[in-house]
Amino acid sequence: MASIREQFEIPGKMKTWALGLIAVGVLAMIIGLVTKGMGDEHEKTVFIGTLMYNSLFFMLICNASMFFICATTLAMGGWQVVFRRIPEAISTLVPIFGGIAWVVLMYIVFIDHNHHIYHWLSEEAKTDHILSGKLGFLNPVFFLIWTTLAIGLWIILGAKMRKLSSEADEAALRGEEPGKSFVWRNTVSASLFIVWFALTVGSTVPWLWMMSIDAHWYSTMYSWYTFASSFVAGMSLIALFVIYLKNKGYLEYTNQEHLHDIGKFMFAFSIFWTYLWFSQYMLIWYANIPEETIYFKTRVQGPYKGLFFLNLIINFVCPILILMKRSAKRNYTLMTFMAVLIIFGHWIDFHQMVMGSLSKEHVTLGWLDFGIAAFFIGMIILFTGRALAKKPLVPKYHPFLKESVIHHT
Amino acid sequence: MAHLKYESQLREPLVTGNKDYHQVTEDICRPIEAKPTKLWYVGFYIAVALLMFGVYSVYREVTYGIGQWNLNKTIGWGWDITNFVWWVGIGHAGTLISAILLLFRQGWRTGVNRAAEAMTIFAVMCAGQFPIFHMGRVWMAFFVLPYPNTRGPLWVNFNSPLLWDVFAISTYFTVSLLFWYSGLLPDFATVRDRAKTKLRKLLYGVAAFGWTGSTKHWQRHESLSLVLAGLSTPLVLSVHTIVSFDFATSVIPGWHTTIFPPYFVAGAVFSGFAMVQSLMVIVRKVFALEDYITLGHIEAMNKVIVLTGSIVGCAYLTELFMGWYSQNKYEGYTFWYSRANLFSPYGWSYWGMMACNVISPQIFWFRKMRRNLFVTFFMSVLVNIGMWFERFVIIVTSLYRDYLPSSWSVYYSPSTWEIGFYLGTFGLFFTCFFLFAKYFPVVAIAEIKSVLKTTGDTQKDGMDKQEEMQPEEFVHEYAH
Repeated sequence: MASIREQFEIPGKMKTWALGLIAVGVLAMIIGLVTKGMGDEHEKTVFIGTLMYNSLFFMLICNASMFFICATTLAMGGWQVVFRRIPEAISTLVPIFGGIAWVVLMYIVFIDHNHHIYHWLSEEAKTDHILSGKLGFLNPVFFLIWTTLAIGLWIILGAKMRKLSSEADEAALRGEEPGKSFVWRNTVSASLFIVWFALTVGSTVPWLWMMSIDAHWYSTMYSWYTFASSFVAGMSLIALFVIYLKNKGYLEYTNQEHLHDIGKFMFAFSIFWTYLWFSQYMLIWYANIPEETIYFKTRVQGPYKGLFFLNLIINFVCPILILMKRSAKRNYTLMTFMAVLIIFGHWIDFHQMVMGSLSKEHVTLGWLDFGIAAFFIGMIILFTGRALAKKPLVPKYHPFLKESVIHHT
Repeated sequence: MAHLKYESQLREPLVTGNKDYHQVTEDICRPIEAKPTKLWYVGFYIAVALLMFGVYSVYREVTYGIGQWNLNKTIGWGWDITNFVWWVGIGHAGTLISAILLLFRQGWRTGVNRAAEAMTIFAVMCAGQFPIFHMGRVWMAFFVLPYPNTRGPLWVNFNSPLLWDVFAISTYFTVSLLFWYSGLLPDFATVRDRAKTKLRKLLYGVAAFGWTGSTKHWQRHESLSLVLAGLSTPLVLSVHTIVSFDFATSVIPGWHTTIFPPYFVAGAVFSGFAMVQSLMVIVRKVFALEDYITLGHIEAMNKVIVLTGSIVGCAYLTELFMGWYSQNKYEGYTFWYSRANLFSPYGWSYWGMMACNVISPQIFWFRKMRRNLFVTFFMSVLVNIGMWFERFVIIVTSLYRDYLPSSWSVYYSPSTWEIGFYLGTFGLFFTCFFLFAKYFPVVAIAEIKSVLKTTGDTQKDGMDKQEEMQPEEFVHEYAH
């Protein structure tokens, strides 16, 4: 009856890597600020736009972890309990990245008044007969209120879920009554999060932050598409940390069976993303209405053609061919490769969603993008590591822990 | 001793009444082996009468033409296509339960999957009638099949979503039927082995395809189920996706919107589960199957209903918002005048849809309501009315105001034969369902037995020791 390694200690190497990446990122941002940020309007827009899509992407994929926890809680899932502390730890990044994203967005709207990014901020918008009609939604005051509320409530409701989870470390949770009450309280908090998530990520927030860059354009699918993109990348992030901890000899109760199911999520939601991608693209292509096809004009026929197809190859062709097999989802090396690939693929997706509208003439993907991404990745490693070290890795008295231990897929 | 599956005591048992294997067989086979009750006959004859009325209505339409319906040149799709989409939508729950919930390893599917799959097949049969008879000259229906021919050669239009429907629905029907039937094999064999008359033995024996219950049979059966589940999962999504394409590929305001495919699928699952609820609440009572279709099963399905109802609600509000946000005059007019304005000619149908599909299912956030049979039954009927109105709203409110005001058609109401056709499909559906309930095991006997030893109440009561163990001790004892 061996006791388990419950306490994670941050290895020196992990810290070095994290700090190194953050340093690279800060350096890139400084060089970017000097070379582009001080440049002409277009250069400046590219700089801020790059900061913006990175902060939104990494915030959303970390928030996807909390969505995963809440969705499995509401579904009364048991299988994920053995590694549940990992998405919890990743979700502690939401306040940090939320803060960064908030600052970037507010800078664009209130300080920079950057109408190259948000065309609706310009004076012309008041006379443009389409844009003037939208100003009830696209205006700085509503932008401030809704952005603050969205991020703020994700932070508060997420913190509540994590706090509840700590109770599962205490033996007092054993027995039927305390167990039932624990499940019930989790269900209530999770449902609050999910409802708020639907009202923000599932609808309003992607319209406000990203779709409004193409201020005249609209697509009802846009938000669900953004959700699918960030969720599948978020699942891949969870997979990476699970594999890392397994390799370091932690998470004794987590095994191939759990990895297999995480792999199924990555597979299924890659297909789901493709389904939404196809539905949006095909319907716009088929109806061929100029107001709608304009969005895909630069992306399919213009300079973004390469990225457009790369997006499909990485996010659809690779997952369906590689992750279809049972053995692939149970293979640590292949899963690591696929998780990195999927995160990269959806980062590219966010890049083309935002930059495809800001820099229509040429693709700007380069050192600045990778540099800023390095900063966010470094932050994820550092803070997830810290959060993991703060709590036991296994919620020992969670009522469904035993189900999770004996899990066969 | 290593376990393959462990279920917490906190979860309620899926089979109650301390059953053993033999009792399970007895309970489920009883209605098949007994004489039909009076109630069964009454129900069956009403269903057949409705079917006959439907047949006559269709006869009128085939003989005298589409003019027997009140469609006009502006509202060219009315009740017929509404009914088609409604029935197809209902036909989504069965395969979702049997395929997707199988992949998700949801044990509670075992109580309801058989009846839900049967319902799916009957619903798809009903759905198919509408496009077929809407062709007008139904004897030309084979024109939808693409094959080298002597008509020119005249090929089908592969660019048309209506043709994709033909492929999607026929594939879905075939796979669902196979899935349902292969699941029935072991149960038919059970009924065969218990048969007291020669005729029964012969008929159930033929139906059971010579099932012996050998390990080899089971092994093949299990892998077949998994393969069919894998095939059906994309089919569940594709059918209603393609039905939504019938509308969304057009440029008609109110139809052309990118969210349609996933929103139609969510709506289909929503209405399908509502229909399963309506049937199950009655079946469990009439056949005394409360130990197999427990309140826990009903509650789980009500959770699916509140989830999918809310997804659909999210899509309605998204569309409504975009009707304004797009600043497209035609979209705005369709959404904010023809639909959301209560005082426009069809405004009432939009608000009826909102009330039934979005607002009222929110009652299922409360556990007490999810477990109340009366509320469940009432809500399931309400949801199906709401989902019928959804399709009516989409179809008619987008069509009745044409681009040319001179083509506007402010009034459309169905003729007797249009209504008759719809009632006829109810007749078809219930005739099939009554026959199914009488001659087929309505709950999957073999599948219930497969979950009995992990989730039955006898098992749960004996789990105190394991539940109290320290995690390390438990792992040492049971994991491997």
